[in-house]
Amino acid sequence: MPAVTVFGLGNILMGDDGLGSYVIKVLEARYEFPSDVDVLDAGTPGLELSTILEDSGALIIVDTVRAEGDAGTVKIYRREEILRHPPAQRITPHDPGLKETLLVLELQGETPPEVLVVGVVPESVEYGVGLTDAVREAVPAAITAIVDELERLGRPALPRDPPLEPDIWWEREP
Amino acid sequence: MARIVVDPVTRIEGHLRIDVEVTGGSVQKSWASGQMWRGIEVILQGRDPRDAWLFTQRFCGVCTTVHAITSVRAVENALDLEVPLNAQYIRNLILIAHAMHDHIVHFYHLSALDWVDITSALQADPVATSRLAESLSPWPYNSVQSMRATKAKLESIVASGQLGIFANGYWGHPAMKLPPEVNLLAVNHYLQALEYQRKANQIVTILGSKTPNIQNLAVGGVANAINLDNQATLNMTKLYQIKDLFDEVLAFVQQVYIPDILAVGSLYPDWLGYGAGVTNYLAVPDLPLDTAGTQFDLPGGTIMNGDVSSVKPISRFGDEYFRDNVEESIAHSWYDGDWSRHPYDEDTVPNYTDFEDDGKYSWVKSPRFAGEPMQVGPLSQILVGYAQGHDLTVKWVDTALSELSSRTGVNVGVGHVQSTLGRHAARALRCAIIGDLALRHWGLLVENIGSGDTEIFNAPVFPRGEQRGFGFHEAPRGALSHWVVIENGKIKNYQAVVPTTWNASPRDAAGQIGPYEASLLGNPVADPERPLEVIRTVHSFDPCLACAIHTLDVEGNEIAKVRAL
Repeated sequence: MPAVTVFGLGNILMGDDGLGSYVIKVLEARYEFPSDVDVLDAGTPGLELSTILEDSGALIIVDTVRAEGDAGTVKIYRREEILRHPPAQRITPHDPGLKETLLVLELQGETPPEVLVVGVVPESVEYGVGLTDAVREAVPAAITAIVDELERLGRPALPRDPPLEPDIWWEREP
Repeated sequence: MARIVVDPVTRIEGHLRIDVEVTGGSVQKSWASGQMWRGIEVILQGRDPRDAWLFTQRFCGVCTTVHAITSVRAVENALDLEVPLNAQYIRNLILIAHAMHDHIVHFYHLSALDWVDITSALQADPVATSRLAESLSPWPYNSVQSMRATKAKLESIVASGQLGIFANGYWGHPAMKLPPEVNLLAVNHYLQALEYQRKANQIVTILGSKTPNIQNLAVGGVANAINLDNQATLNMTKLYQIKDLFDEVLAFVQQVYIPDILAVGSLYPDWLGYGAGVTNYLAVPDLPLDTAGTQFDLPGGTIMNGDVSSVKPISRFGDEYFRDNVEESIAHSWYDGDWSRHPYDEDTVPNYTDFEDDGKYSWVKSPRFAGEPMQVGPLSQILVGYAQGHDLTVKWVDTALSELSSRTGVNVGVGHVQSTLGRHAARALRCAIIGDLALRHWGLLVENIGSGDTEIFNAPVFPRGEQRGFGFHEAPRGALSHWVVIENGKIKNYQAVVPTTWNASPRDAAGQIGPYEASLLGNPVADPERPLEVIRTVHSFDPCLACAIHTLDVEGNEIAKVRAL
């Protein structure tokens, strides 16, 4: 059972929505993690997310957020802020996202002790591979926020020396 | 006349918009519109065909494995490449586990609350609920204590003033008909189902290395090294872990999911009469039993005009009857032109015009089979199997029909299954059928490994020149096909014709409406501000537009809009 799960959400085929996956790859290339910290590029799961989060301890999530602010702004949220507004009407299986998964875990009495969302305001979420410059420039700040939270939770990440090359396979030229 | 628009503005852009015109309390005209552009070929052109599956499994966060497997099948078909038996069985087990997970989630967590009233469950007697449950099934977890705990949980949620996961339901709607005890039972099983969908998904994780995006595929086979004595590979411990999980999930399906569908179904008999829509059915064969894909454990084929005697089989990978009859029309879709073309010959040039009732109104294209709209999904698969005398299908369908008949006092036949409720029932039956087949394929895999065969991969070779191929898979939402054109080892064109495209298709060049649109005609609508009946029929198809994005909305802008104009 992991003490902390760090996961990226988003779709690499949808421009800036690929931020979560991107940050996870950079994080894995630059740091080593304690054995009870899971680091995961989760994509865009629906309720499947509950399998990933089952029995996890604290959660650190990196995702794009729809929020006030210029593209590339990094926003930090905790559970209460994420759940302040109720989830929307369900139409397709994508609709149960993070909010619903947290509510489902709560319903089952498995509420994670800590939840932190490191959010970045996107510029463009349209079909195509690659981040905009504004969002790419926010990556270091997002990484710092994750590393700081791991430190606070008593599970510090150790910088790799030298760092590896991040495996952003989807951005490689065909 | 009232016009109702159900336009869920989820994430940044909408997925699916449904417009209906209601006159005299029922739907007279309807439109289904996909609200997001997608064009995978734009991303895949020029790439290595061996990498295509890594991209296609990111189409959709819910259907990852299905797009991965269909993609490798398409490339293998183009190269005429067979895959080792072990690879077929391992892929089959992943497909089944994923589908069982998906069907359980769809019924309990995405659509049961269209039929089940949470607030009514608060009036239920836990003792009577447990007694009712025990009369329906031998399932051991239907105790009074369990029902009491569920009721207490619901009471505490309501008392907190925040309905949490249950916010946004149509509670107290006049179309809700279940007695309090059935409602409480359903909520109890909603909670239990959360456990079992996870167990199904754990199987995918064990075999696929990771979910939601599996890592173990390759064009030509799988990457699961087999060595029964090695901890790091697929070994006996892992195989037995997989079998135990399938046993548990199958027991849940047989003893909870099926009895629940029959119980809820028999209390909504009207809904066996609504929602038939397009009664042409298409299913592709799946669960291959040989290296070339000529024998399958799930039959495929077509049925036209609801007539099961019209069944024509689709019987192998590369089947010409399937290959030669699929085409897509863009007459009412936001693309440049008004052509109908075979998937190998399509292009994707967007041409957005706004929502035009009589013109272009959707990003979804209109797939047609021999010029006809087709319904796909578990109902199609069940009907095609039933029509061909597939043993397991016949057994489960006949059992369900006689059970429904005895409870409703109506002689429920195959015609009634062609309905909104029938789609839910068919999904449950399919889940039981593939659960039985999971155990069979698990046995085949173990036997094959036991015979000394540990082959998992045949290396693909890409000749110069052009190759064309297609792969299909009977996915949880129905027939999925990927079509690839390869030139000198690179992808030249790639199209995915996905189940929701068949079902949510807009009108075609001949003006024929698609399955969602047809199924809504005649549906009752008691309250235009709360069009629960429209949602019921749309949900029965399990809509999934392959365009998942995930942008978290913490500031409350993420709302489903229902507008009654």
